[in-house]
Amino acid sequence: MVHPRALAYTASHLDGLIPDEAELTAGVRVEPRKSYGFFTDTTRCIGCKACEVACKEWNLLPADDLRLTGMSYDNTAALSASTWRHVAFIEKIGDGEGRATEMAPFQSNWLMMSDVCKHCHNAPCLEACPTGALFRTEFDTVVVQQDICNGCGYCVPACPFGVVELSLVDGKAHKCTLCYDRLKGGLEPACAKACPTDSIQFGEIGELQQRAKTRVDQLHELGVDGAYLYGVPGSPGATGDLGHLNAFFLLTDTPEVYNLPERPSRASNRVGPSLVSGLAAVAGLMLGAIVFFGRR
Amino acid sequence: MNDVPAISRAPYGREAKYALVPAAAEKVETYYGQPQLKPSHYGFRVALYIFIAGLSGAAQLIATSADLAGGDRHRNLVRRGRYLSLLAVGLGPPLLIWDLHTPQRFYNMLRIFRPTSPMSIGTYVLSGFSLSSLVTAAAQFLADRGDGPGWGRVARVIEIPAALAGAGMTTYTAALLAATSTPLWAAAPRALAVQFAGSSIAAGAAALALCEEADSESAATQRLELLGMAATATELAGAFFAGRRYRHVGVAPSTALDRPWGAIHRVGAIALGAALPLALLTARRVGNRPRSRPGMTASLLAIGGSLLLRWSVIQAGNDSARHPEESLRFASGEDPG
Repeated sequence: MVHPRALAYTASHLDGLIPDEAELTAGVRVEPRKSYGFFTDTTRCIGCKACEVACKEWNLLPADDLRLTGMSYDNTAALSASTWRHVAFIEKIGDGEGRATEMAPFQSNWLMMSDVCKHCHNAPCLEACPTGALFRTEFDTVVVQQDICNGCGYCVPACPFGVVELSLVDGKAHKCTLCYDRLKGGLEPACAKACPTDSIQFGEIGELQQRAKTRVDQLHELGVDGAYLYGVPGSPGATGDLGHLNAFFLLTDTPEVYNLPERPSRASNRVGPSLVSGLAAVAGLMLGAIVFFGRR
Repeated sequence: MNDVPAISRAPYGREAKYALVPAAAEKVETYYGQPQLKPSHYGFRVALYIFIAGLSGAAQLIATSADLAGGDRHRNLVRRGRYLSLLAVGLGPPLLIWDLHTPQRFYNMLRIFRPTSPMSIGTYVLSGFSLSSLVTAAAQFLADRGDGPGWGRVARVIEIPAALAGAGMTTYTAALLAATSTPLWAAAPRALAVQFAGSSIAAGAAALALCEEADSESAATQRLELLGMAATATELAGAFFAGRRYRHVGVAPSTALDRPWGAIHRVGAIALGAALPLALLTARRVGNRPRSRPGMTASLLAIGGSLLLRWSVIQAGNDSARHPEESLRFASGEDPG
């Protein structure tokens, strides 16, 4: 279905940006003070890695080491400072008990998932950042300001998903920006635009969550009983006070299979209990000290 | 000892087809054994800072307590405590700035205050401690030189905020580690803070006791040793409860003896660095032999143990982040809080 406005831009050369291009490509206008994110439907992923390539090209990210990991078709291995989309390949053939002799009924039982920064509602990386380099944008996404980050590295262990990483090239923390620059220009993020099967969908969170629930119902009707959402309120991933995840997923196996934690938690909830107990212990010992030193 | 609890699973999808039986709970499926988390880059530099921050904070706290409780009787101890607190003032900021990956932007730490970030809290605790400790030590120095009676009073006033900031210095570093997603650090926020508090004060008391011993002032030494015993006992209690939490949430393998940092943590930091000095000091009190070798040995062990505790907790924590079965198991339980 082509947006009627798209017919005004049929030439191969364009003089400038198409105003609100995201409306033509993703059916949504990008406006400040609204929440945007990704719905990654893993049942639609074909493992083409176009998202990885589109991300690297748009964001001018350096290539990673060229190597074979031996992990199915996944030679990217993990998200990193220079890799902001990562397609995981899980071969569910044989169930780890030797070679299977018959195929399970669903697809090829080869699971693929394009992983990305979750842009958490209560983002632990942002809450840990002591410089304010990590901030929440007007599109409700979480971005590292490269001109402020001083490379303290505290956001790295704070992230419950292992997303943020320090680059040893420039000494700053890097992660997915949800294409902050493209959103400012009214464009859909590069990975979502490049995805040929709409496994990665960009949009407003409320609308995306609705779309995702409809998709789960549809899959259940088709017999994919294991389909569920990861990162919408009340589901795995959106636990421990993290709130919802602005980049959420439709999965068909347990979260661990995709290297996702089942019940991630909000790190800053541990500041209070830790400080209070520590200071209480110190106070007790100092009372003891005053008694010891007061005695004649 | 492997009493990992059964993971209670939410039924996923339309059917509860992934409700795991308790027997399978220990075997966590991972993604080709790839780490699920990224470990911090913190190592010896940060461990050394945490140790120095704890020791200096404790020295200021002890000096202030002795000054408040004993007044002039502990004059020498108070002076040494005030000077010893300058260790963190002089070495703390350089160590922390050295650990940044873009050190020329260290001042960005002072751009904002973020109460959800112990790193940000610590920036201001260290700044406040440095300022008040410098003033206290300078006033002490001027009073000793006989530059008027007013300086002694200045020290008596500023030592209060210095001691309060010192209390922060001894413990905020535990919150710094606990408020992350690194399984071992996040597993026991309260017990880790109690351990750090006890270890800091034990190290501070031991360092001051060594100075006293060199000066053969047994009255203050005995009191410092009593405080050291209480602090070490507190640290061991924290270690006991932390160990229980580690087993409960399934991160105990990172502190097990078969991993290098686990062995260093258990043998070096806890057995030799806390339990042995406590035993030596207790034996000395029971045997009623003041001023003998065991006192100095205990002090040196307590100081070394305090550094080793921080280093081994940091490294074993990084190790726990590298093991996906540990982090996924940890993140399948209830919010540790």
